[in-house]
Amino acid sequence: MKKIEFKGLKFLMVVVVIFIFLALFDFNNIPNILDKFTSMMYKIIPIFALVIAITALINYFLKPKQIMKYFGEDSGKKGVFYAIIGGVLSHGPMYAWYPMLDDMRKHGLKFGLIATFMYARAVKIPLLPFMIGLFGVTFTIVVNIYILIFAFLQGKIINILIKEEKNEISVSDRQK
Amino acid sequence: MKENRIDKQKQPTFLMAVKKATISFFSFSPMILAVIGLVAIFQTYVTPSMLSEFFGHGVALDIFDGTFIGAISSGNGAISYVVAEGLKSHGVSTYALISFILAWTTLSFTHLPAEASVFGAKFTTYRNILTFLCTLIIAYLSVVTQGALL
Repeated sequence: MKKIEFKGLKFLMVVVVIFIFLALFDFNNIPNILDKFTSMMYKIIPIFALVIAITALINYFLKPKQIMKYFGEDSGKKGVFYAIIGGVLSHGPMYAWYPMLDDMRKHGLKFGLIATFMYARAVKIPLLPFMIGLFGVTFTIVVNIYILIFAFLQGKIINILIKEEKNEISVSDRQK
Repeated sequence: MKENRIDKQKQPTFLMAVKKATISFFSFSPMILAVIGLVAIFQTYVTPSMLSEFFGHGVALDIFDGTFIGAISSGNGAISYVVAEGLKSHGVSTYALISFILAWTTLSFTHLPAEASVFGAKFTTYRNILTFLCTLIIAYLSVVTQGALL
């Protein structure tokens, strides 16, 4: 059986050290921190299940070649469209989606589409009533249109930046 | 070559796909625990009343402060609206409120180590700088556009 390669162990160690430091010097706040930690865990568990389900469905229904077609170098407008829709519909914190994005990246998902997906997440459909209550309907519509435009632009810029770097690397490789 | 290799990969059974997705997800569990732990620590020490003191220094600074404070704050997106509601009652401008909400949902200093280890330092740097700039621009443009429409 393939051994699991855990990611973020060093990061976890750093957070544990911070926690131990706080436990030694500010113990009064520890129950507060633990309370927030457990309440976040409870809220996020259904999202974990959703992410695992979506990743499994993508692995099952889309072959690597299809993932490359929809989200890879030649995905074009369709890729942007799916990234925006995915970002708008995705729930929960960003880090819960890292495993799925990482999995898809190994199959050719473009960096630009990851950036588009991440920024499109600023459109939160369930929270639109809060936004309307705070800013009004017109402002809410304007902001969300701008978010989608800038999500698209961000993806384009990231693609250009990372492609240029790849080109520079390949030119220097050839010179060697 | 790569195309041929990809072509030859077989479609997994559904059980295999679920197993692969579960293993892939659990490999990220230390990172997810670390991020949640860090967010819990931040939420304990950074309170909304502390945040309201940063605003009221003109449009440019309010947008910048809103973006910066949104980026250092973390948690559920719904909480950003509750905090923004509180900030509004303290007279904080719409420029600052919208930049705060956008930064809360798209930027997070506590997620940076995790994002960098998954997608690489370069992508994380580019994305976060671009997101920061986009948030500043959207906050400004949205208020100006609304003013022009009404």
